[in-house]
Amino acid sequence: MYGFEAMTFNVHSGYLEAIVRGYRSGLLTAADYNNLCQCETLDDIKMHLSATEYGPYLQNEPSPLHTTTIVEKCTLKLVDEYKHMLCQATEPLSTFLEYITYGHMIDNVVLIVTGTLHERDVQELLEKCHPLGMFDSIATLAVAQNMRELYRLVLVDTPLAPYFSECITSEDLDDMNIEIMRNTLYKAYLEDFYRFCKKLGGATAEIMSDLLSFEADRRAVNITINSIGTELTREDRKNLYSSFGLLYPYGHEELAACEDIDQVRAVMEKYPPYQSIFSKLSYGESQMLDKAFYEEEVKRLCLSFEQQFHFGVFFAYMRLKEQEIRNLMWISECVAQNQKSRVHDSVVFIF
Amino acid sequence: MTMEQQQREEEKKPQTSENDKDEKVVQFLDSLNDYLTLMDSLSSALRQGWLELASARHSMGSWRINSATLDHKFHSASTTLQLSSPDDSNSNTNQPHFTLRKWESCDDEDFQSKEVKLDEDEVQKNSDDVQVQKERSKSLLVFGALVSPKLRDAQLSFETALETLVDIANRRSVMLSAYDHVREEILGTKQ
Repeated sequence: MYGFEAMTFNVHSGYLEAIVRGYRSGLLTAADYNNLCQCETLDDIKMHLSATEYGPYLQNEPSPLHTTTIVEKCTLKLVDEYKHMLCQATEPLSTFLEYITYGHMIDNVVLIVTGTLHERDVQELLEKCHPLGMFDSIATLAVAQNMRELYRLVLVDTPLAPYFSECITSEDLDDMNIEIMRNTLYKAYLEDFYRFCKKLGGATAEIMSDLLSFEADRRAVNITINSIGTELTREDRKNLYSSFGLLYPYGHEELAACEDIDQVRAVMEKYPPYQSIFSKLSYGESQMLDKAFYEEEVKRLCLSFEQQFHFGVFFAYMRLKEQEIRNLMWISECVAQNQKSRVHDSVVFIF
Repeated sequence: MTMEQQQREEEKKPQTSENDKDEKVVQFLDSLNDYLTLMDSLSSALRQGWLELASARHSMGSWRINSATLDHKFHSASTTLQLSSPDDSNSNTNQPHFTLRKWESCDDEDFQSKEVKLDEDEVQKNSDDVQVQKERSKSLLVFGALVSPKLRDAQLSFETALETLVDIANRRSVMLSAYDHVREEILGTKQ
C-alpha cells in the first residue's frame, strides 16, 4: 500500500466506494452481449435489456424504437448514478467527480457554438447536449461571436474558465477555430485533472496517472490520424498534444511529422505498451484501431478495481459505463441496419 | 431482276426484320440487366455508407455526429444534376440524359486553367484531385475540422451511391426506350 489510506479512506468515501463497486457488478457480461447480438429487431433488444438494470429506463418507450432512444435512456441511467454519488460525496471526492464531467461540458460548449454558427435553433441544440455536461448558463452561449465574448459572457463563471487562457482570441468563430478551441480546452482539462490527481497522492495518484496518460496518448494518436490530409500544420498539431503521457515529449515530436497511418504505426511501435495494440492491425489499415484502443482501456479500467481505497474506481466505472453504452449503440445500429455479421467489429466485452 | 432473284429478295426481308427484332429484344434485355446490376450496386453502396456512418458515430461520439450540427445557412450546392432532354439542341441522344456535376466550386476561374497545354494535362489532373479533396473536407466541416477516417469513408460511399443513382436514371431511360422499340416491333408484326 502507498500510505495509510486503509485507515482513513472509509471515513468519508467508504460508502461511495461500496456503491460504485455495486454499480460495477451491474455491468453487462459477455453472456448478455451474446444474447443482444442475436436479436432481430430493436424491440428484441429492449426485451433483453428489460431483464437488466436498464429495464426501468426503457420499459415505457413506445415502438418503433430508434437507436438514439436506446442510447439516450441508457445514458440517463448513468446520469442518475453519477448524481447519486455526487450528492453524497465530500471533498476531495466531490471535486474529483466533477472533473470527470468537464470533458462532456467541453463537448456541449462546442456543440452549441457550432450549431449557432450553422443557424440552428438553440432549443434543438440543448436537447442534443450530453446531460453530464450541462450547466446553468449554457443556453447563453448562442449570443457569443468570438472566443473573447464566449469567455466574458458565459464561461468565466463555469469550471472551464481556467482552460480558456490559451485560446482566447478576438477572431470570429469558424469551423477550424472551433475545432482548435475544442482540442485546446480538452488538453488544458486533462493536464489540470492530472495535476489534481497527483496532488491527491497515494493510490489515486498512481492509478489515475496511468489512466490519464493512456487517455492523453490515445488523444495524440487520434488527433494525428484525423489531421492527416487536412490544413492543420505540424506546429498546430503538436500544440494540441497534452504535456504528459508516455509519448511526451519525443513521441509527440515524431507524431507531429507523420503523414500517413504507417508512419504513426512506426512511431507507436517503439513504445512497448502500444506494440500489442498496433500488432492487431494490418499495414495501412486504421479501421480496427479504435476497438484496439478501447480494449486496452477497458483492461486498465478493470484492473483499477483490484485495489481499494482510491478514487480511480469512480473514474473507471464512469468510463466502463460509457463503453457499455457505446457497445449497445453499435449492437442497435447493426440490428437496425440488418448487418449483424459486423456486430463484433466494435463490441468490447468488459467481463 | 429475274423472277428467282426477286423471290430470294422477298425471302430475305422477313429474316432481316426477324434479326432486327431479336437485336432490339437483346438490347432491351442487356439494358435491363445493367439496370438491375446498378440497383444491386446502389444497395451495397448505401448499406456500406450507413454502416460506416454508424462506425464514425461510434468512434467520434453521437454528440459530435448528429443532425443538429448540419448547416442551415444559405449556401450553393457543391453538386448539381444537369438534365438534357431530347428537345435540347445540344443533345445528341433521343432520350433524356442526366449528368452529375460534382464539387462544382472546383470549376471556379481561380482553379481552372483556360489554356491547358498537352504536357500540363497531368499537372491539371493532380490539381483537380487536390481541389476535390479540399471540397470533400470542406463539406465535412459541419462535424468538425478533425474527423475520423471512417466518416471520410462514409462520405465516399454516399458519393458512389449518388453516382450510381444517376447511372440508374440514365440506364432506365435507355431501358424504357429499348422497351418502346420492342413493343413497336411486336405491334408491327401483329399488324
